[in-house]
Amino acid sequence: MNAADPIIRIEDVTKYFGSFKALDRVNLEVAAGEKVVVLGPSGSGKSTLLRTINQLETINSGSIYIDGRDIASPEEDINQVRMELGMVFQSFNLFRHKSVLENLTLAPIKLKKMARDRAEELGLSLLDKVGLRDRAHHYPIQLSGGQQQRVAIARALAMEPKIMLFDEPTSALDPEMINEVLEVMVTLAREGMTMVVVTHEMGFAREVADQVVFMDEGAIVEMAPPEVFFENPEHPRSQAFLQQIL
Amino acid sequence: MSDQDVKKIEVGDGAAIPSPDDKGLVSAWWIALIGTLILVIALPLVQPDPYLKILKFIPDGILITFQVTIMSILLAIVIGLLTGLGRISENRLINLAASLYVEVVRGIPLLVQLFYIYFALGRLVRVPDIVAAVVAMAVCYGAYMGEVIRAGIKSIDFGQTEASLSLGFNRRQTMAYVILPQAWRTILPPVGNEFIALLKDTSLVSILAVSDILRRGREFAAESFNYFETYTMIALIYLLITLILSKLISIMEHRLSHYERR
Ligand SMILES: Nc1ncnc2c1ncn2[C@@H]1O[C@H](COP(=O)(O)OP(=O)(O)OP(=O)(O)O)[C@@H](O)[C@H]1O
Ligand SMILES: [Mg+2]
Repeated sequence: MNAADPIIRIEDVTKYFGSFKALDRVNLEVAAGEKVVVLGPSGSGKSTLLRTINQLETINSGSIYIDGRDIASPEEDINQVRMELGMVFQSFNLFRHKSVLENLTLAPIKLKKMARDRAEELGLSLLDKVGLRDRAHHYPIQLSGGQQQRVAIARALAMEPKIMLFDEPTSALDPEMINEVLEVMVTLAREGMTMVVVTHEMGFAREVADQVVFMDEGAIVEMAPPEVFFENPEHPRSQAFLQQIL
Repeated sequence: MSDQDVKKIEVGDGAAIPSPDDKGLVSAWWIALIGTLILVIALPLVQPDPYLKILKFIPDGILITFQVTIMSILLAIVIGLLTGLGRISENRLINLAASLYVEVVRGIPLLVQLFYIYFALGRLVRVPDIVAAVVAMAVCYGAYMGEVIRAGIKSIDFGQTEASLSLGFNRRQTMAYVILPQAWRTILPPVGNEFIALLKDTSLVSILAVSDILRRGREFAAESFNYFETYTMIALIYLLITLILSKLISIMEHRLSHYERR
């Protein structure tokens, strides 16, 4: 594989739910270290696209390459691929029966056979990073939404993924908690993480995105750097969308 | 916040476990317990022949009843786990097999199943009566347990599964590390119910030459012709056991929900 090759390559991907076409011949390339923000109206296929990248949704046609590996092919061990793809959900999905620290150490210990001490050390340093070291022994239920989401980010990072996928990470949060999560994401972006982020936070998109992808009805309608997309959107759909939200 | 409470599973028959909030059931429990205790103690004192004799004759049976109950419930849990997992399996064949088992078992009266398995098993292998009885009870209760376990697994938000898969766990690991450890809190209370129901149903194995409480009683009655007194005592003993068990399970359930909210 060439260094300039994209770390994510989505080629002509189509996805049906029954007879409903949720993704319509989508093409997208993401280079290592690049940050892509996906925008679009509700139901346009943003989550579906994100979830095909780690195969939480299977695809009907086309291909997806992660690091040059064709992940939809039956020969690939999808679990191996997923270890390199961190995912953060709108609803946090922390393991409710595990403490904060255990949420972070479970996968490294079980999947990477990391020694417990080492995993806890890593976990605590990640909790430091998201500002929650003092909550290591709390349970998810005892945390605010913003705190839970920061733990969820740390949990994904504990597997030391190459790529982080975010599906509306702040949409379930009270407004006053949105920033603490966005700050963590900005830090992560600065450190050079490859990120694909579905969000409605336009400030974040402007500040962090290298490329903004605009989706409508299962297709990518427009793709441009944020300066261009927000100032001079080309497509009428993008224009209408931006007018509505700004 | 998305902390949905643990969903309760409704399972049909079985002893009613008094909830700490249900004042009616709780006070009924006390009245029943004290009444039963008074009768169990007073009857043998007032009328040693036959009540004291009966009371001395039956304990061996109590032991057997407990043995059969505990062995059956353990085996039923194993069968139930396999059935529950089978019922949610994406493999069509496994799924069909598990569902078929549940349908068949639910459609045949326990007593008929008991006879059937007992004699069918007897044709194939020579096993002690008590083993045949345990297998028969477990095969029957395993189907109900399977439904309880399936419901418990289904009660866990699918987001937990997705989070686990996204970390790189496969389905089996997800079940073992993420889903079942959460589901057991939902599963345990109805399993407690099933335990009491099973204990009562073990009285059926007395027909299969297993010397449980009821069979011991029948033996005593057949010799002494004290049918009324014997069955009175047997009923009281069963009642005492289930009253105490239901209380223990209710306490355990309460602890569990406490633990959930720590
Ligand atoms: N599991 C599913 N089964 C059937 N239809 C689905 C399923 N998941 C998504 N869809 C449909 O696919 C379309 C795209 O859904 P998707 O969740 O990707 O949209 P989205 O852009 O993320 O929207 P939102 O902003 O509301 O999250 C929607 O019309 C949705 O109803
Ligand atoms: Mg979505």
